[in-house]
Amino acid sequence: MSRYIIALICLFLLVMQGMAMSMLPAKLVYSDLLMTPHWIFIFLLIIAIFYDKDDTYHAVWYGLVFGLLIDVVYTGVLGVYMVTYTLVIYLVHGLNKWVHANFIAASLLAIIGVLLTDTILYVIYSFVQITSMTWGDYLLLRLLPTLAANMIFFILLYPLVKERVYFWSEEVKNA
Amino acid sequence: MLVALIGFSIRDRDSLSTPEKFLQDSIGWMQTVFHKPVSLVDNTIENIKDMFEVYEQNQVLKARLSEYKGVIQDNQRLESEIEELQNTLGKTEGLSDYSPIQATVIARSSDRWFEQMTINKGEEHGVEKDMAVMTSDGLVGKIKSAGAFHSTVQLLSGFDRSNKISSWVIREDKDEAFGLIEGYDDETGRLLLEGIKLDEELKSGDTVISSGLGGVFPSNLRIGTVEEVVNDQYGLTKTAYVEPFADFFDINHVMVVDRTAETVDTQTEAEGDET
Repeated sequence: MSRYIIALICLFLLVMQGMAMSMLPAKLVYSDLLMTPHWIFIFLLIIAIFYDKDDTYHAVWYGLVFGLLIDVVYTGVLGVYMVTYTLVIYLVHGLNKWVHANFIAASLLAIIGVLLTDTILYVIYSFVQITSMTWGDYLLLRLLPTLAANMIFFILLYPLVKERVYFWSEEVKNA
Repeated sequence: MLVALIGFSIRDRDSLSTPEKFLQDSIGWMQTVFHKPVSLVDNTIENIKDMFEVYEQNQVLKARLSEYKGVIQDNQRLESEIEELQNTLGKTEGLSDYSPIQATVIARSSDRWFEQMTINKGEEHGVEKDMAVMTSDGLVGKIKSAGAFHSTVQLLSGFDRSNKISSWVIREDKDEAFGLIEGYDDETGRLLLEGIKLDEELKSGDTVISSGLGGVFPSNLRIGTVEEVVNDQYGLTKTAYVEPFADFFDINHVMVVDRTAETVDTQTEAEGDET
């Protein structure tokens, strides 16, 4: 049951991601700073940390599916988000074994995750010449704002879903 | 596998594959569902803000109104004249004729490197790939791909060398100067109008419109005003920086422009613009 709810939440975030870009005040979203919402990624990160056990990889599969959906719906270049999300969530899942699942550790993982995700996206997109930003510009104009925006989202989302996700996890284990 | 997927999607495709269309439409419908209440709230706030400015606006508009009366008469006279002339020529379809398809923007690409947005009209409503998209202010982009009920719009701010618009610069006392909109300057937010002949003199403030010679767009779509003219890097042609009329960031309602005149098949015409 909880699996379907997670998928639904992801779908909802996917829809909201595009809506947010067209609805939020233009001054905030379209300043010189390029902010990219990675909301689905943040949510899946929480799933990877609190829902998945050491030997389950639900978050990774969700990353694969919803990464592909982002590709289809928002960029039109297939495979980029799909591979990036899958890879990074897999890494976070691996790292999670070494830390305790609490807020500090989770936010640390979120920072690493978002940094890694956005950098990989940048590298792939500059290979296929979708962007021609230099590394310096990228760091200042895109990576840092994106990190900040997504961490705000993480801090808002964390208290909302953490207990619930943990509860689902126990439920699955006991079932 | 990654390389194969990217390669598949990045090459010039004529249409989306069926699963992509399906996904685009299903997400589109969901976005429409969520869009309704959110835009309701958004509009209400906007309306309240507007109410405070109504008085001032009314004053300005009243002053303008008398001006317009003259313009309308002029316009009607010219229009009937054009019609007469076209009738004598036996020419019924002009390049500037088009039928608009009204659409609402329901989402924007969440990745700012892709200047794209989704609108709620698709092939079922007559939208096709490469059609021009405009707001009441001016041209904003073209259809990148059309699904059955939703389509993706490539904004002018995401244009590159593979998306050209053949355009004219309207000058006061001379003929139109020809040029191609070939790109967008991210830093200043201006369009690049390239390939202008060296001996053409442009003033800043001249209006740029589409010429309709590219084969897909109708003519007379407003694009922007010339701001600055420089020689290009080889000194063979001039490049003008064009300040677009439309605001690419705050777009809610758009018009997809369906040209009445026959469109050139861009596939057979490899050198055709706007491919």
